[in-house]
Amino acid sequence: MSRILRAEWTKLRTVPSTAWLVAAVVALTVALGTAAVASLDTEYCPTPTTCAEDTARISLTGVWLGQAAVAVLAVLAVTNEYASALIRSTLAATPSRLLVLTGKVAVVTATVLAAAVPGVAGSVLAARVILPSNGFTAADGYAPLSLADGPTLRAAAGTVLYLGLVAVIGVGIATIVRGTAAALTAALTVLYAVPLLVRFVSDPAWQEQLQRWSPSSAGLAIQATTGLDRLPIQPWAGLGVLAGYAAVTLVCAAALFRARDAG
Amino acid sequence: MTATLRPARPRAEHVAGFARLVHAEWTKFRSVPGWVAGMVAAVAVTVLVSLLAASGSGSDANEASELVTGPDGDLVSDAFHFVHGPMTGDGSVTVQVTDQDASHDGAMAGLMIKDGTTPGSAYAAVMVTPAHGVRLRADYDTDIAGGDGGAPRWLRLDRSGAEVTAYESADGAEWTEIGTVRVRGLLETAEVGAFVASPPEMRVERQAGSTSVGETATIGHATFEELAVDAGDAADPERWTGDDIGQAMEGGVTRAGGTLTVTGSGDIGPDPPDDDPVQIGLFGAVVGLMVVVAVAVLCATSEYRRSLIRTTFAVTPRRGQVLAAKAVVIGSVTFVAGLVAAVAAFLLTRPLLRDAGFAPPAFPEPSLLDGPVLRAVVGTAAMLAIIAVFALAAGIVTRHSAGAITGVVMLVVLPILVASALPPGTAEWIMRLTPAGALAIQRTKEPTAGLVEPWAMVGPWAGFGVLCLYATVAVVLAARSLRGRDA
Repeated sequence: MSRILRAEWTKLRTVPSTAWLVAAVVALTVALGTAAVASLDTEYCPTPTTCAEDTARISLTGVWLGQAAVAVLAVLAVTNEYASALIRSTLAATPSRLLVLTGKVAVVTATVLAAAVPGVAGSVLAARVILPSNGFTAADGYAPLSLADGPTLRAAAGTVLYLGLVAVIGVGIATIVRGTAAALTAALTVLYAVPLLVRFVSDPAWQEQLQRWSPSSAGLAIQATTGLDRLPIQPWAGLGVLAGYAAVTLVCAAALFRARDAG
Repeated sequence: MTATLRPARPRAEHVAGFARLVHAEWTKFRSVPGWVAGMVAAVAVTVLVSLLAASGSGSDANEASELVTGPDGDLVSDAFHFVHGPMTGDGSVTVQVTDQDASHDGAMAGLMIKDGTTPGSAYAAVMVTPAHGVRLRADYDTDIAGGDGGAPRWLRLDRSGAEVTAYESADGAEWTEIGTVRVRGLLETAEVGAFVASPPEMRVERQAGSTSVGETATIGHATFEELAVDAGDAADPERWTGDDIGQAMEGGVTRAGGTLTVTGSGDIGPDPPDDDPVQIGLFGAVVGLMVVVAVAVLCATSEYRRSLIRTTFAVTPRRGQVLAAKAVVIGSVTFVAGLVAAVAAFLLTRPLLRDAGFAPPAFPEPSLLDGPVLRAVVGTAAMLAIIAVFALAAGIVTRHSAGAITGVVMLVVLPILVASALPPGTAEWIMRLTPAGALAIQRTKEPTAGLVEPWAMVGPWAGFGVLCLYATVAVVLAARSLRGRDA
């Protein structure tokens, strides 16, 4: 297994786009998170306290952009190998396809998790510095964001895990679809189109069900730190729903990967 | 070295050459099964997601306890304080508005002739406002501007049959005509008098990450002098009584000599709900565009991957023309596909939306031939076509499918998700600066901050213009990169 892991790692790190994408995961997550926090104000609230902004969640807004880079990284890790027909050599060297897929998922996910940690930590740190100057002060009930605080730590660590699960889903979809454009479009649809539908459906019953069962809306429940009783799905249960989707995608991918010829 | 002059090709040959180029690009497009399938998928996704969005939407605007409908059957607001008496047949009424509180920029004080005192009945009114000058308004949909400035001012309404003419004057001696309006079905005996209204102040509030719009009532005061009626058959203004019309807060009138002080609250005008069923029925385009982006990017990048681009450029060395031909083909194909999808989505979602509460009177039945509806449907197709050209250009500049697809999708879709989680001021700026604002072309109603959809805050053409700007810049960059780089 360690041989397979090393092989997958070598393949991943020697593609020039990987380094760029890892940097993009960190930079985009921090950049969008910082911009969201910087734009936050108390102008539309009667008093800052009654605003009840979930500052931890808003500081992690960057995940919406970071996950795109994660999806590209995960999809390319698979489809590049098909495009260059390297997959044939890989399978000749390791005939057990399940081991190849396991190795690939492990290496891609580990890489993404390693990129997500500084991205998420940087976002929280930036918010900690910026928020007080935008009117979200300790005096108004907004304690400085800190990873020592239980819910904030859960939101931050959960966001890292969320990005890891996005990577698993990306590898799974790419293994099923095999073409870069189709796989990427499918992944982006799951990550963005479904949440759009969730947000703009106006019937409350529909909205609650969609939030509970759509992959990214449920998964991002992990970022909530206030008003937990009003959430359609609790944080860890939501991340569990996403993990369920990841598992199903991976099982389908494994079954197809075993059954098909290496195109 | 000898300079050689290339003979200039005649114009007709240019045109024929470009037509051949477009034909060649069209052949390339239609002979790739994946691309054609992609366009069909874009249509299917657009229609299906629209149906899904329509099923998940609803409105209770028709279930409000007291709906006020105007002469056309549309929802209107009709609330004010009216000091009035009957007038039969032709005649005129004159008054001097000596003072008006600036309780609201659009507060009203003036004269009205109205078909009875039932809210929603036909009317014509001439008024002063603190910030919008003198206005002549009728039947909730007509609004004619008079002179600038507010009180003090003399006003006059002159009825002749169904026509009402309004005049204004600074001194009561020299009169200027503002305009003439026809009041629908005005009875022989109508109520005439002085009125005061003051619309509610809109208030945007944000709590626990969601934005809501509330209203705070405002109360207007105005003083009138020299109220006089000149008609064969009318009650004496001295004996006119004050009534609150509609759901206004309690107003009143006090008399001191010839001076009337009137207090009133409320608004007179169209009052449609913010929700736009036409836009809900076209929602699927947001998802369909992601498929369009993938197809358009592939049109650009796959020629590089398969090195077909070298053959293309060998045949047509004028690379700008190749780009133009590609843009024409992908733009037209997407426009046609988008139009099919938008018309189908509009027609198929109608029954669903009607059952979900989007029905008259709150939501008049839309017709494909109404200006704003046509703009929304054709605009959806145009938006998809411009996004396709944008994606094509991005594909040529980056030569990287994954990067171009992700970049364009992020620019169009991500701002919507981010903006809807941020305060309204920021959200509006995001919609003004990113191509996501183009979705405003799907709305048939006035911009508003009262909806979840962030693009509802910008006007249809403002948003669409931003997308066109992005696409133009991308096409220019693509043209430069085609000329400047090896294939």
